[in-house]
Amino acid sequence: MPVIKAEHLSKRFGKKVLAVDDVSFAIEAGTITGVLGPNGAGKTTTLRMILDLVRPTAGTVTILGSRYRELHAPAARVGALLDSSGFHPGRSGRNALRVIATGAGVSDARVDETLALVELEGAAKRAVKGYSTGMKQRLALAAALLGDPEVLILDEPANGLDPEGMLWLRTFLRKLATEGRTVVVSSHVLAEVEQTVDDILILSKGKLLAQGPIHELTASTQPVVRARSPQAEKLEAALISAGAAVNRLNDALAVRGPSAAEVGEIAHGHGIALHELLTEQPSLEELFLQIAGTRREQ
Amino acid sequence: MIGLARAELLKLRSTRTALGLFIVILLVTLVPLTVLIFAVPKDWLETDGVSGFLNTASAFVPLVLLVFGILGMTNEYRHGTITYSYLVTPHRWQVMAMKLVVYAVAGIVTMVVAVLLVYVVIRLGGAVRGVSIDATGGSTFGDYARQIVVAGLITTFGVALGALFRAQVITVAGVLIWALAIENIIVVLKPAIGRWLPFTVFNTVSAGQMSGGGADAVTTDMLTRPQAFIVSIVYIAIVSVAAVFISLRRDVT
Repeated sequence: MPVIKAEHLSKRFGKKVLAVDDVSFAIEAGTITGVLGPNGAGKTTTLRMILDLVRPTAGTVTILGSRYRELHAPAARVGALLDSSGFHPGRSGRNALRVIATGAGVSDARVDETLALVELEGAAKRAVKGYSTGMKQRLALAAALLGDPEVLILDEPANGLDPEGMLWLRTFLRKLATEGRTVVVSSHVLAEVEQTVDDILILSKGKLLAQGPIHELTASTQPVVRARSPQAEKLEAALISAGAAVNRLNDALAVRGPSAAEVGEIAHGHGIALHELLTEQPSLEELFLQIAGTRREQ
Repeated sequence: MIGLARAELLKLRSTRTALGLFIVILLVTLVPLTVLIFAVPKDWLETDGVSGFLNTASAFVPLVLLVFGILGMTNEYRHGTITYSYLVTPHRWQVMAMKLVVYAVAGIVTMVVAVLLVYVVIRLGGAVRGVSIDATGGSTFGDYARQIVVAGLITTFGVALGALFRAQVITVAGVLIWALAIENIIVVLKPAIGRWLPFTVFNTVSAGQMSGGGADAVTTDMLTRPQAFIVSIVYIAIVSVAAVFISLRRDVT
């Protein structure tokens, strides 16, 4: 049984904004699932609907077999990081967590444990208003972990993190998944989660464009052939006339359509020298652009 | 529910808002009272000068408690902490109900402490100056009890208003303007309507608080105290139910 199951989920704000449009998906236990898409794709609204913070206009969503509000001791089963600014600025980091922990029936010892887990124990007594964005993000992550939950829902957890912080987050998420937890992580920076997630949901303009294991989705898309040539302009013309899609930047070309062997044959046939020729699986960003482009064409 | 109550109390203790407002209450009551006791002639202290002052000074306390209640709720929206409150307790009515109860108790405790401190300051001041001051300011135990009950009611009313109108500055300013000016004008111009208005009703219950006036504010135009008490409860119930209803339907974005 999936941990999270959404069926025909829609959310309309007012009459004009359709934030989520008939989205259905299932998230399996023990996976890291990336909810990906540009700003305004409907990622945050979808996550908030899972957590009963936003009421769906249509459709249903269940987590651990029931609606969030029907879960017994929900904070102990589901942890959420939705907004790093969700703390009173005058409260210390530790007290901010204690407020949440007390309501959830979690001990102060666990508060200190999670502070240590996100490496904030040194700043625990400082007021949140003195925290950097990265520190607030870590505090929000600590809040999500307070109940030692089996499911974690993290909305843009890398926001405000420096490269070191992002590396820390990637390692941390992977560690959580190896402990058997289900992690749902949204991001608009696709490259940021590419190395972390197992499955992806791609959203754009409120619609679900694709869902599945990341390796399957990238394998199902066209690879990109990279070529470098001192006669790049001539090679570009030859490839286009052969029906390929080509992007050229100076002497480098990104070719979609023909295989690397076919590009080599075309170059040879036109007497064009090649300095480099290789096949690349598309990045998540390219995958998104391909999927979004395909949908637009439809 | 016990955890929820403890969390609300921790929220009160872990920021400076509650402490700051308590200090304001002490400043508007104890500081002028101390100055009064040590600055005026002894014979004036032995008349009813202090009781007149106490009635005026204590009129500010419910207003501060009203603001305290409004801030208690609007701060949740302003700082986004409402998200965590609803994640921990997804049945939103429970969050609202507990906040109403905890703030009612906090309002009552604050008023009890303020009354006791005023009593202590008058006793000590009188002893130092060698005069006998009527520390009750002419009030009976019943008067104090009503003031304390109204403190709880008005703090609760503030919480409910804060849940209904989330915009903090606009709510505080609007409510104070209404309580201090608009409602008083209506009471003067249209007493038949004015006597039913919320702050006039609270004033009638405590007889001498909110919007000025003393015991003589309870005139034939006003509701009786039992009537006013019932109407004040109805006001709080209506605003609280509306606040719960809206919070159930409101998206937390």
